[in-house]
Amino acid sequence: MNLVLDIFTVSAVSAGALFLLAGTVGLLRFPDPLTRLHALTKVDNLGLGLVVLGLLPQADGPFGALKLVSIWLLVQLSGAIVAQLIAGAVRQRGPHG
Amino acid sequence: MEVSRVMNSSETQSRPANSPGTLGSAISRAAGFFGFWLVLTGADTGDLAAGLFAAVAATWASLRLMPAQEWNLHPIKLAKFVLHFLRQSIVAGTDVAMRALDPRLPLRPGFVVYQAHLPPGTKRDTFCAIMSLLPGTLPCGPAEGNGLTIHCLDVTQPVVEQLAAEEALCVQALGGAQRHG
Amino acid sequence: MASFLFGAAGFVLTMVALGLVVILRRPAEVDHMMAAQLLGTGGVAILLLLAAATETPSIVDVALLLALFAAFAAVAFVRSASGQENEV
Repeated sequence: MNLVLDIFTVSAVSAGALFLLAGTVGLLRFPDPLTRLHALTKVDNLGLGLVVLGLLPQADGPFGALKLVSIWLLVQLSGAIVAQLIAGAVRQRGPHG
Repeated sequence: MEVSRVMNSSETQSRPANSPGTLGSAISRAAGFFGFWLVLTGADTGDLAAGLFAAVAATWASLRLMPAQEWNLHPIKLAKFVLHFLRQSIVAGTDVAMRALDPRLPLRPGFVVYQAHLPPGTKRDTFCAIMSLLPGTLPCGPAEGNGLTIHCLDVTQPVVEQLAAEEALCVQALGGAQRHG
Repeated sequence: MASFLFGAAGFVLTMVALGLVVILRRPAEVDHMMAAQLLGTGGVAILLLLAAATETPSIVDVALLLALFAAFAAVAFVRSASGQENEV
């Protein structure tokens, strides 16, 4: 049982790390600030979500697991709002502002 | 600016100070905040008094910042919507990640104006937050009339049709474009 | 398991550091605003991995606070950089 859970953790955390890698690649390669914002919010949030999912079996008890999920929800929510704020700033100031 | 728009819209919304909805949402919000406290402290019995105080204070602050509103939630539709949203956000992350890792960098970025059906206010802000996690779309402020300016990674996709479908789902889950009454 | 989690934390740390260097070397200020967001998401991932690797649950609290402060910092940065301090 423990082995199954450990395999689950390893695969989910690895997938999350891959998404964080893709997010950084997007930041490097995407041509303008708004497209980079897509990479930053969507890919990094999914990466963090997979890391949290993978860490759930390692959490201590249901409360520890719920805490991990609520941290992810908090980051997801603030990411969704901050992305709109930055996008609004880009539109207001132009891409080179 | 987005922040001021959000704040103004919640300020100008009718504030039902003593309407029947206020007490109900105060109780449910307080229960939610206290549950969150239990999660954060691991249900430590020594902290329960502080948790009650914090839940009351948080409820007061949340009712001031976001007045009670008729949301008319359908639990089953909401659960379906959450599942749909989770799947869509996985699709969104994978989509952007694939574009980032693709050597040809397949991007067709551009702006699209979407005419929203939800009235300005908390529900539309909710829909904007959801939209920013959907595949390829990122709302970046209001446009003329009832429109929203959306930045898209790929303008060759049928963005407006997809958003209309998403908004219809959102309206179903959150309970109508009009205020329930 | 602990060594895998340490490795993953180190990998994510490298990604975040690389992303930060790239963001901060760009001239546009709107790019700089993304730094707070990147540090928030990536930092939380690193801290959660370290909490599990070292079996120190209190690091999870640090991650929670980082998530909270990153949200505030990003909002404050966008508003001050847009010259909207006086408008609410």
